[in-house]
Amino acid sequence: MERSWLEYKTDAWVQWCPGCGNFGILNALHRALAELDIPPEKLAIVTGIGCSGRTCYYVKGNSMHSVHGRAIPAATGIKIANPDLVVIAEGGDGDMLGIGVEHFVSVGRRNIDITVIVHDNAVYGLTKGQAGPTLPSWWRTKALPGPNLHDNLNPLLLALASGYTFIARGYAYHVSQTKELIKKAIEHKGTSLVHILQPCPTYNNIMTKEWYEERIYYLEEENPDWDPVVTSQDEFTKKIGDIMGKMVEWGARIPLGVFYVNIAKDTFEQRLEKVIADYRKYPPAKRPVHVNGKPLIDPWTIFADKVIKT
Amino acid sequence: MTENVDLKLLIGGPQGGGIESAGQIVLKSLVLKGYQVIGTREYQSNIIGAHSYFTIRARAERPGAIHFPVDAATLLDAESIFTHFQDVKPGGFIIYDKSAVNTKLRLIAPMPKPLKQRLEEFFKSRGLEPVAGSALKVAEENGVKLIGLPMKDLVRSVAKEAGAPLSRAGKTVNTMGLTAMLYFSGVEPSWIEKAINVHFAAKKKVADMNVLASKLAVEYIDDTYGGPCCFLPEGPNLGKEVMLVTGNEIVAIGKAVGGLTMQTYYPITPASDEALFLEGHRNLDLAPWAEEALHLKRIGSVVLQTEDELSAIIAALGAAAAGARVATSTSGPGFALMNEAISLAIMAELPVVITVWMRGGPSTGLPTREGQQDLLHAMFSGHGDNPKIVLASGDHVEAYYDAAKALNWAEKYQTPVIHLLDKYLASTVTNIHREEIDPLKITIERGKLVENPGPDYKRYQITEDGISPRAPMGKTTMVITGLEHTEDGMPTEDPVVREQMMAKRRRKFETIAKEIPASEKVVLHGDPDAKVTIVSWGSTKPIILEALKLLEADGVKANFLQIRLFQPFPVKEVLDYLTRAETVIDVEQNDLLQAAFLIRGYTGFEIKHFVKKLTGRALWDKEVAWAVKRILEKGDREVVVSGGA
Repeated sequence: MERSWLEYKTDAWVQWCPGCGNFGILNALHRALAELDIPPEKLAIVTGIGCSGRTCYYVKGNSMHSVHGRAIPAATGIKIANPDLVVIAEGGDGDMLGIGVEHFVSVGRRNIDITVIVHDNAVYGLTKGQAGPTLPSWWRTKALPGPNLHDNLNPLLLALASGYTFIARGYAYHVSQTKELIKKAIEHKGTSLVHILQPCPTYNNIMTKEWYEERIYYLEEENPDWDPVVTSQDEFTKKIGDIMGKMVEWGARIPLGVFYVNIAKDTFEQRLEKVIADYRKYPPAKRPVHVNGKPLIDPWTIFADKVIKT
Repeated sequence: MTENVDLKLLIGGPQGGGIESAGQIVLKSLVLKGYQVIGTREYQSNIIGAHSYFTIRARAERPGAIHFPVDAATLLDAESIFTHFQDVKPGGFIIYDKSAVNTKLRLIAPMPKPLKQRLEEFFKSRGLEPVAGSALKVAEENGVKLIGLPMKDLVRSVAKEAGAPLSRAGKTVNTMGLTAMLYFSGVEPSWIEKAINVHFAAKKKVADMNVLASKLAVEYIDDTYGGPCCFLPEGPNLGKEVMLVTGNEIVAIGKAVGGLTMQTYYPITPASDEALFLEGHRNLDLAPWAEEALHLKRIGSVVLQTEDELSAIIAALGAAAAGARVATSTSGPGFALMNEAISLAIMAELPVVITVWMRGGPSTGLPTREGQQDLLHAMFSGHGDNPKIVLASGDHVEAYYDAAKALNWAEKYQTPVIHLLDKYLASTVTNIHREEIDPLKITIERGKLVENPGPDYKRYQITEDGISPRAPMGKTTMVITGLEHTEDGMPTEDPVVREQMMAKRRRKFETIAKEIPASEKVVLHGDPDAKVTIVSWGSTKPIILEALKLLEADGVKANFLQIRLFQPFPVKEVLDYLTRAETVIDVEQNDLLQAAFLIRGYTGFEIKHFVKKLTGRALWDKEVAWAVKRILEKGDREVVVSGGA
């Protein structure tokens, strides 16, 4: 039975500016969760700091509002402790690709089964419009005292190089398409990135709704045979040129959709299962810790390698 | 007779030259012979080539401190000879490699230049050639017996008899050196061979070759010196089972027994060995009582190496939020990176143990050396006016129980617990008896963990004791946050709620201060009526206890106030004890005298005499006793001690 997306709404006032792209992303997320029928108590949603960081208060689930840049490690800890939860890490471009970029990269090496959603408006909104890591150099959005001297990074290529096994890009105002991308990302087993382009009507006066809508198109619309799925190393070698070609396309045309899916890699949870006794059944948050206060182990047997019998 | 035994040994050589193994084999030989031991390793931030050494002490009763000068030293290379020729007492002996005697001081590349200069001046002032042989001659003039081993010949014999290449046989020089030292001291070869076999239990071929090398060393001592110099009786512990563990290891054991389910870490000296040891023992066979109750044979814990310390602590907090019993482990520099998350843990009320293995700072400082410089760092970590629990362990057994207790406190009080330890404890090995780490002396508590929260569950419910019920994720919905919040976790900047929540968290810390028994806050060791009180904290504990004995032998009666809990600070207890003494002397291994600063701040009591050590080397019992006597005799405000190469 499908749930209503209203089940995922909270009664908190949504504090974003009128016209903010976050509304579209939130709406897409609510609908994706409903269509996937994820019980709110099985959902963990972790956010960083910034406008997008408030998302965790607007989605009914197990929310954790962490510190700036650290949504991914918090999500990693939650997922390892209880792999039965559906775990989403959410943050802006500054949070995920600036202050938290080391985690954005490192999570890919684990291929842990979490979904990373990056709200990318190329500016730091909540601190009043400084340049974000995806703002191109020499551009000057309206709150900047001078042009941006830093080049922009490419989140999709960075994710690919880091080992993400699902990489997609959406556009905030395309709610139903973005919803589909989020659904696929959550369903994918492994680390997923949904990079969402998002106008900031308050501070980004360059990358506006009109600016984006002149440029964006969907990969499968352009090429009905577009197939981003990689099932083996051979297929990876064969397809990666085209995939990377689309990932670097940025300018007059900006592609959206699913760029890359690799189903040949094991997840971190599967790796843990191989080395840790009964991990699936008894992960850290669910395993017994004591029997009526008594410890479960006798150090003399567990650490027998340190025992010397004289 | 055994009560008179107090054997002090040293073995020195280049890093990568098997000094760690040699120290371990010496310790194991002496444990097998029935003695209690400690051993500690001094090493540099280097993988191969720099000088390192292992100091060992064995007695009927567990030694609390290493002691110089030593009775005997094995000095495997010229640098070791130059570094330690004055560390052996008159009447003792030095085992050395004969081929090292002509090595010139200036040709020893790894030796620190300042030491080289001091030695050059020393030899010049005595009119001696700056070669290793001169250093040995000085030792001999001081009454030290010299025992040169023809290492090259012995290695050739090992290679020949084992049918091994010279390069492999050459790796047994440490075993030959330690065998000569132990055998000459009166340890029978059978104990040494047994120790070698225990040490290399997983590598039979290596064990065999080392046993062979050991035999050859014994033969050489017999042929050249007619056997051992001394008789060493069997120790009183013979026939007992002991665990031989470092401080890093005993903390890991305490955590595992204490119910840790997940640990995160990022590699850093001297902390990582703890996490690696846990990882090596992540699959746990249940004890009979648990197996019977749970119908479960084996269970696992997760050890996660993260990309940095920011991730280590935040991943731990995520796991804690999900309901796991977690810890992370680091040293000063890594703890600095964790600071922001300490605040988050306090505001979000998340249970986490942060094990901080202090080392010499500031900055990268002395990465492999001792220091107690992070007490204030721990106390004031995190931004925004926040209380936390800070405790410090004094020795291995305390560290075992504290590691488990810290997990209890973290979960009961849903707050970060900073467990302070240091490099000295981390790398000091001692023997532990079964009854000392009885798992059934540990009671695991998880506080207000609710397995079946209702739909109205409020993560930050306001309660009288300041502690809210904590539900694991997966059973209900909740909001966990670092923003100021209402009871249900929703952010608010409302002034009334702000005060209520500040008061709630304050009450929690009042509860903590009330519930922790006085005996776990401070301990007064020794005669409560003594006129002199030494106050200190952390790994100086067993060293000061040894110093008290030395002082008593010299007619000075002193007691020792050990501060165990720094936050919440035991104001009343500390003040009670300090005001009873006529003279209070603070002993610390930091320059700011951080504990004294806290004592003054919390109690108003001003300590007037201080002993400090800043060299990064292990504190000695003898130097504490000496400094205390000096203060009592001359009234010095501050005595700085600096023993150790």
